[in-house]
Amino acid sequence: MDALIRLKEVTVLSQDFKVLNKADVTFPAGKSTVIMGPSGCGKSTLLKVAAGITVPNRGKVYLREANLFRLSEKKLLSFRKMNGFMFQDAALWANKTIFDNLALPLQLHHRELSSREITHKVNTLLEIMNLDDSVKLRPAQLSLGERKIVSFLRAIILDPAIVYLDDPTPSIDHAMLENMMQMIKELKDKGCTIIAVTHDAHLTSMIADYLVILKQGRVVEAGEFEKVRKSINQEVIATISEVLSEAATYDSDLLDLMGG
Amino acid sequence: MIIKLGRWFNHKLKEFLYATGFLLNILKESLLFLKHKQVGFRVFIMQVLFTGVEAVSIISLISISLGAVIIVQGISILPRFGQGKLIYTILIIVIIRELGPILTAFIIIARSGTAIATELGNMVISHEIEAYLSIGINPISYLVVPRFLGVIVSMILLTIYFQFFGLFGSFIVTQFIQPIQFREYFGNLLTSIQVVDIISSLIKSLVFGIIISFVAIYQGFTVQMSSTEIPQIAIKAVGQGVVLCILADAIITLIYYL
Repeated sequence: MDALIRLKEVTVLSQDFKVLNKADVTFPAGKSTVIMGPSGCGKSTLLKVAAGITVPNRGKVYLREANLFRLSEKKLLSFRKMNGFMFQDAALWANKTIFDNLALPLQLHHRELSSREITHKVNTLLEIMNLDDSVKLRPAQLSLGERKIVSFLRAIILDPAIVYLDDPTPSIDHAMLENMMQMIKELKDKGCTIIAVTHDAHLTSMIADYLVILKQGRVVEAGEFEKVRKSINQEVIATISEVLSEAATYDSDLLDLMGG
Repeated sequence: MIIKLGRWFNHKLKEFLYATGFLLNILKESLLFLKHKQVGFRVFIMQVLFTGVEAVSIISLISISLGAVIIVQGISILPRFGQGKLIYTILIIVIIRELGPILTAFIIIARSGTAIATELGNMVISHEIEAYLSIGINPISYLVVPRFLGVIVSMILLTIYFQFFGLFGSFIVTQFIQPIQFREYFGNLLTSIQVVDIISSLIKSLVFGIIISFVAIYQGFTVQMSSTEIPQIAIKAVGQGVVLCILADAIITLIYYL
């Protein structure tokens, strides 16, 4: 396995509460890893630590062989430039228009692009998602689902090598969701490393090469998707069942559901 | 009791060291601002517009009122002691050296200090700061430095404006009480003013600008997870800003008289 990002005994504290507790996880390059676990088990925090956004209280994070949080400012910046992060609550910049939310990363990191080219790129992405008439609106004027779509578009606008998706599918309407799923699939086909936190069995079955099961801040199981899915570890089975039954809307064998 | 006191002291020391490091980081990034200006220049202009230009009306009102009060009081009292000419020295001391910078600072604390603290605090809660980090934007250079420099520049410009308008306003009021020639009035002011008055005033406005912006930014970033923290940090930004500005004012004035 070609490890791109590796978390070693990572602990994150919120006041005295252990959000993550000695988590050991490896995210392989060019593969898709899905993180599953019950609500509040530390999935989003794990994602943010892997993206270099949250600094752990204990433990280390490696990008290849280098300690991520010991990188020079320049190297850390270039690491972040190759990342795209979709936030669970969208985290759009409230005082900017939808256009500016999407254009800013391009204006900053692709100064060779003319404003016309930037406008074209932003408008093309918004058209795909049927959000082209929202260009001049502020995030507060959009629904949560639409904001999440814009957050997704912001994450992929720089053609990143690593995409982090924090619970991407809830609140999004069917048509937009289909478009988003298609774009995620294209990212995967292009060899982009995807790390996704989701309860969505369909998204998991579509992209997951690796699966991480998290419970109460601990990594219960991590490894190749098929192996983890068929694990006989009772804690893994119980956690997957719990997670998927939260998301499942119809009767089905939960593990089959995840099998696609 | 001693253990509690020790813990409190330890916590305060850590906080002070963290704040000092944060300030040094801002100063370092401020020096690099010209390099980053394409990114943060618009934010800087917006900050100057909000802190400086939008405060002009209230500064005008306060400075003209202060000038008027000094003239009215001075003209009615000083001639009784044969010290009518002293009014010009008082105008210089009050408007240029003392109350001009500190009143301008109070107005900026009330308007921009609270606005910066609450805006940044809200951005922390809604993960907007993390969003900047996620796409490779340093929040210090993009969000903090333009606000920091914007407040300093506005503070200096507004103080100068306050002084001109205060002195001009007092001239207008003089015309209603005891008309005096424009040249004579400003001639007397110019003979009373010293270079050190202007330098002292500029140093004060620079120091106040640094204090106000830094306190507001620092407080904004201390918000952790709840919107109920926002009003608390706004109050702290005002309280600490006022206290530190008054302390700095006293120290600079003391140095002036040493």
